[in-house]
Amino acid sequence: MDRAIIVDRLVKNFEVTQKEPGFTGAVKSLFSPKKKHVHALKGISFTIQPGELVGFIGPNGAGKTTTLKTLSGLLYPTSGFVEVLEYDPWDRKPEFLKQIALVMGQKNQLWWDLPASETFELNRAIYEIPRREYEENLKEIVDLLEIGKLISTPVRKLSLGQRMRMELTAALLHKPKVLFFDEPTIGLDLIAQQKMRDFIYEYNKKFGATIILTSHNMDDLVNLCRRVIVIDEGRILFDGALDELTEKFAKEKIIKATLSNEGNIADLEKIGKVKKVSMPLVTLSVPRSATAVAASELLQNFPVEDLIIEEIPIEDIIRRVFRGELRGK
Amino acid sequence: MNKYLSIFKISFAQEFAYRLNFILWRARNVMNILVTFFLWSTVFSDPSRSLFGYDRAKILTYVFGVMILRALVLSARAVDVSREISNGDILNLLVRPINYFKYWFTRDIASKALNLGFAAVEFAILYLILRPAFYFQTNIGFLFGFSLMVFLAVFIFFCLLFIVNMIPFWAPNMGWGAQFLIIVVIVEFLSGAIFPIDILPGAVQNFLYATPFPYLVFVPIQVYLGKVSTAFIVKGVLISLFWSVALWIAMNNLWKKGLKAYEGVGK
Repeated sequence: MDRAIIVDRLVKNFEVTQKEPGFTGAVKSLFSPKKKHVHALKGISFTIQPGELVGFIGPNGAGKTTTLKTLSGLLYPTSGFVEVLEYDPWDRKPEFLKQIALVMGQKNQLWWDLPASETFELNRAIYEIPRREYEENLKEIVDLLEIGKLISTPVRKLSLGQRMRMELTAALLHKPKVLFFDEPTIGLDLIAQQKMRDFIYEYNKKFGATIILTSHNMDDLVNLCRRVIVIDEGRILFDGALDELTEKFAKEKIIKATLSNEGNIADLEKIGKVKKVSMPLVTLSVPRSATAVAASELLQNFPVEDLIIEEIPIEDIIRRVFRGELRGK
Repeated sequence: MNKYLSIFKISFAQEFAYRLNFILWRARNVMNILVTFFLWSTVFSDPSRSLFGYDRAKILTYVFGVMILRALVLSARAVDVSREISNGDILNLLVRPINYFKYWFTRDIASKALNLGFAAVEFAILYLILRPAFYFQTNIGFLFGFSLMVFLAVFIFFCLLFIVNMIPFWAPNMGWGAQFLIIVVIVEFLSGAIFPIDILPGAVQNFLYATPFPYLVFVPIQVYLGKVSTAFIVKGVLISLFWSVALWIAMNNLWKKGLKAYEGVGK
């Protein structure tokens, strides 16, 4: 198997009932419901190799979660082809489900009133994990996540960070080959986020699991994913290495120059957009194609001691992705 | 099988998670039994009085029979399914290799077992204290017919409940309303859980006997009380069987359609 996941021209349309606010709105929608068609996915295609860790990024409502749900067999595609580990996810065959896991940051599978260990035990039975293997897996994950002392505490008494680690444990006991993370670090504090990331990284490396994650957390993407798929309004805008994202979408480059005196500093505006002046350092942003010209002008007309040309930070690009600013480019 | 045994165990553990809540719930149950007992004892204070063919012993047995069948047939955990569908929690179960129906049926059975276990103990204690005039069926045939019908009733009610609970697949906000109308109002009235059906006009009764409802509570109790003929029992079992199969097929078909229609947008 050279492809863990194949998605070809996947389309998903929803029909949503519009509801006006208030009581009259509720009554109206009862008698003449207003339907709105939502085109969540407009024919997306991509493939993912076994062992890849891919980040899905895009603004809210872009279609990220819809894609993950379709891949895990929860949504029925309107049209198009989907294959995960050579199975059609929609059949939800037990052999398929035993090899995948979907972790949603805003959903829990743990039994709220009982210690997490009860849910683990239930999952052992559901996934039919042999007792010995289960004990080993549990110990391994519990050690990695440092949650040994907490597994016999009722879930409702755990903090969000602790609970998310329990959720993760419950989802991974059966050692899934394909993992879908939907906002795994949402609502977690910085330390808990870091723990979660370290774990995802380790898990991917150690078991060669194929992982897709969606996140609005910059650090998740920058630290974990080498490949990203940018999705917006149900279409894929970019699919490639994280580093190439900048080349593709950044129309500007950054020039940082150290000046020996202030001199005619106002004239800098003629060369490019002045981002920051904190003498002796000035930062300009110039169009990508005009970088060389701008740099030489700067050298000729200003008392430049030192000059660096940089790409726009990846964070800026991703931020623009989240704001939906890359549409139509 | 092991899977479902584990689900049974965890459901049981869940019921005991809040001890005080559990004790209060049982206390309410005992209060219920006492109130019902004194009410009907007073109505039938003259032992020779008989209404609609019920004397004091039989009406008390009917009322207590309803209580037991309510615990056994009409109480179910699957009432939570509609909420799971509308808030999206169902997704967590759908991505795991278990059968969703069997999952909920197991949880139902766990809940019923617990219910029945405690109800039996409370009932035994109260019986020893109050010494009511109960009708004990001793005929093996009637007892067998009764058991068989209760078994089918549990299954029919499960299917009915599940079908009603699947409405949020299409109308996410309708779950509670539909449940109230169909399960609380229609089932309660037509199953005989509120009053014996044989006090209704004959034509209405005949119509009801073709529906699944009387077979949930009323008919099993009639069989227990020995108020019916063997032919009636056989016919009743056959009709129950018919509804079991029909509702099972309907439930499966609706499930397949529902999952396809399910959108869970933003969930």
